[in-house]
Amino acid sequence: MSIAQSVLPAAEERPVRRGLFARLLRRPSAVAGLALLGAILAMAALADVVYPADPLDMVGTPFLWPGADPDFPLGTDMMGRDIAAGIFHGARVSLLIGGVATLVSLVIGVGVGAIAGFFRGRADHALMHVTELFQTIPPFLFAIVIVAILQPTMTTVVLAIGLTSWPSLARLVRAEVLRLRDGEMVQASIVLGLSDARIILTHVLPNVLAPIVVSASIMVASAILTESSLAFLGLGDPNIVSWGSMVGAGREVLRTDWYVATLPGLAIVAAVLALNLLGDGLNDALDPRQNRR
Amino acid sequence: MTSIVSRFVLLRATVLAAGVASLFGGAAFAGTPQDGGTLTAIVQPEPVTLTSAINTAAPTGFISGNVFDGLIDYDLDLNPKPALAERWEVAPDGLSITFFLRKDVTWHDGHPFTAADVKWTLENVWKTIHPRNQATFGRVTRVDTPDDHTVILRLSEPSLAILSSVNSNGAQVLPKHLYEGTDVLNNPYNLKPVGTGAFVFKEWSKGNYLILERNPNYWDKGKPHLDRVVFKVIPDAAARAAALEKGDVQYAVFSPVPLKDAERLGKLPNLKIETRGYEWISPWLFFDLNVDNKYLKDVRVRRAIAHAIDRKAISNIVWYGFAKPAISPVPSTLPAFHDATVPQYEFDVKKAEALLDEAGYKRGPDGVRFALTHDFIPYGDDYKRTGEYLKQALKRVGIEVTIRSQDTAAFTKRVYGDRDFDISSAWFAAFSDPQVGVTRAYWSGWVGKNTPWTNGSGYRNPEVDALIAQAQGQARQEDRIATFKKIQQIVQTDLPSIPLAELKFFSVHAANLKDVVTHGDQIYGSLKDAWFDKAASN
Repeated sequence: MSIAQSVLPAAEERPVRRGLFARLLRRPSAVAGLALLGAILAMAALADVVYPADPLDMVGTPFLWPGADPDFPLGTDMMGRDIAAGIFHGARVSLLIGGVATLVSLVIGVGVGAIAGFFRGRADHALMHVTELFQTIPPFLFAIVIVAILQPTMTTVVLAIGLTSWPSLARLVRAEVLRLRDGEMVQASIVLGLSDARIILTHVLPNVLAPIVVSASIMVASAILTESSLAFLGLGDPNIVSWGSMVGAGREVLRTDWYVATLPGLAIVAAVLALNLLGDGLNDALDPRQNRR
Repeated sequence: MTSIVSRFVLLRATVLAAGVASLFGGAAFAGTPQDGGTLTAIVQPEPVTLTSAINTAAPTGFISGNVFDGLIDYDLDLNPKPALAERWEVAPDGLSITFFLRKDVTWHDGHPFTAADVKWTLENVWKTIHPRNQATFGRVTRVDTPDDHTVILRLSEPSLAILSSVNSNGAQVLPKHLYEGTDVLNNPYNLKPVGTGAFVFKEWSKGNYLILERNPNYWDKGKPHLDRVVFKVIPDAAARAAALEKGDVQYAVFSPVPLKDAERLGKLPNLKIETRGYEWISPWLFFDLNVDNKYLKDVRVRRAIAHAIDRKAISNIVWYGFAKPAISPVPSTLPAFHDATVPQYEFDVKKAEALLDEAGYKRGPDGVRFALTHDFIPYGDDYKRTGEYLKQALKRVGIEVTIRSQDTAAFTKRVYGDRDFDISSAWFAAFSDPQVGVTRAYWSGWVGKNTPWTNGSGYRNPEVDALIAQAQGQARQEDRIATFKKIQQIVQTDLPSIPLAELKFFSVHAANLKDVVTHGDQIYGSLKDAWFDKAASN
């Protein structure tokens, strides 16, 4: 064990992590992304405090424009539901679906990629063929099919997004693992008799972390977009308020009361923008070539 | 809530006022219809076939009514008017109905139209293939044709509903010489129909358009006024609104644009919103309560749900005023049959809570009494919003509702086949006689038969079944009306389904298109009276 520690380049990893946050803060776009994301997270966290009632409750006169009534700063929709309450509670749903769906596809994608890349040979062949099979189906259409068959609920939407967005991650992880597989670090670990699982979990994956983190932040953004698109098409869970379902409901009054669809649409834009900015920032911050500058 | 309602009543009044203005405006020019012009209309969705004798879908009826005539037409008050039949007689004992046909009618291919066509279609299409007419003409035992222009229906029992359903949609006569001895359902003339109507089928480019041209030999002399009618297929609601607004299309039916857009379009000088022409179908919206559910089997729970629902809010908010609160499954648009004295379940949350307490379902520590599911008819956002309203309304009285959405096939199987639901929503057409459209919702013979749009609640009441059978065979209209009123009293007491609203579909047409609605069954009827006022620029 002591030999392993001295051989493995563990020391190399530490500076990357230690300075990560500091390096992120040096990039204005990443700071903007973090701030936006922080605001959205705060909205999600405070939804129950600021708007304790069910956001689906019909509380006011229908079609109150934003600013027309101080009780409803962002107005009300066609059923007299408070749009601000919907956006606050929708933040929670969108972030939850984005986060959990990404977690699902991370587990599948990283698992498949690591196993395929590490063991190569038959396992690689089989897993990559499955991955290719998934890649031949357009992910959004696939998600629609899954939700339509299983009936739209929050769980099926999360599953549908998670099950359709992992293939690109799997290929990315596999490529990285293949690169590390023949590196001295892994060869040394094998010589030292460490188990495969241990090598993968403690020595391979930590070194693949940077691309995973970057793509995860983008995946959360695209999961939020996918959920919104599904809800817009009427394939969201009808029992919860999400930004996409609000846009979908507002579409039919777009010509007369455009704010009903536009305000939740702006929330989607803000969330996706924040996550993309953060992803870009992480990408730069985690890139060793940039660090040397 | 009153302020919400009053605001919508006001909006609604504006739309109505615009409609009334169009009536007076029309009267000023209406004197002499002008001939000529092409009318472009929207048909949505595209029909699968062009004869209503074998398919009662709305888009088929909308086009087919122009190519075929009925034996009888219905005016805006649903009074029968002569069409292919110049006059008709019901025998004093009610056991025969005689139609005297016009003698100057030919099919579009030149063949004379005779009593043999009517007899053949009744025996081979209406009584065997037509989805509704099997019930309507069920009591016809024999059809006599003493001469070429007389048709006598011999009945086993009096059947007055027949006369309410012999327009070109309810009883479309097919040309015997083109159909006899063929497979009627797959006859090529279903897609290039040959009728007797004001317009002749010309061309159908699937997915694009369908063209009808003026019938120069039409029996109703001087009609039609239009040279041709083009039906365009425009699947997107926003594109339909734009086409109407721009003037590319001058006529569209069955609430073709989003309800909210109708208010805006109705205020434009070149467009009119028209709510007439739907009287014959008399649609009503309702919730079916599955009486086999362990909570809903208790009539007190069903009544509590009715008390918890504000039907005014459903009409004015959820349906933007394009509906009127319903109090009986027989809509008030059938004034003779409608019974306004049925038990009423006014909006009263306290009463609803008291009934639920009485039924033994107290609120739990979390305020919830019990949970139900709701499956809404997947016909669009209006029905989804109705479901969202139900969820909110029942939450106030402690019933947690989970909304489920699915496609139409899954919905009809779930409700009318598997009966795996708690509360469902749907709209039915009552038609001009409750026997045709209403009794199907309560007759126990339909329960669980997987026949869509029948008895969804699972209501089984031998007394109601007997009354339904009795009404079918009653000779005097007063007796039938009394029977139907009795049925309404019973089903509104038992409340297996809650009538919510009488839906008001609307059409949108160009302001200079006159006399486009002249019949109570106009959306399934002929555009033979329509004409363009060339003086009024569009």
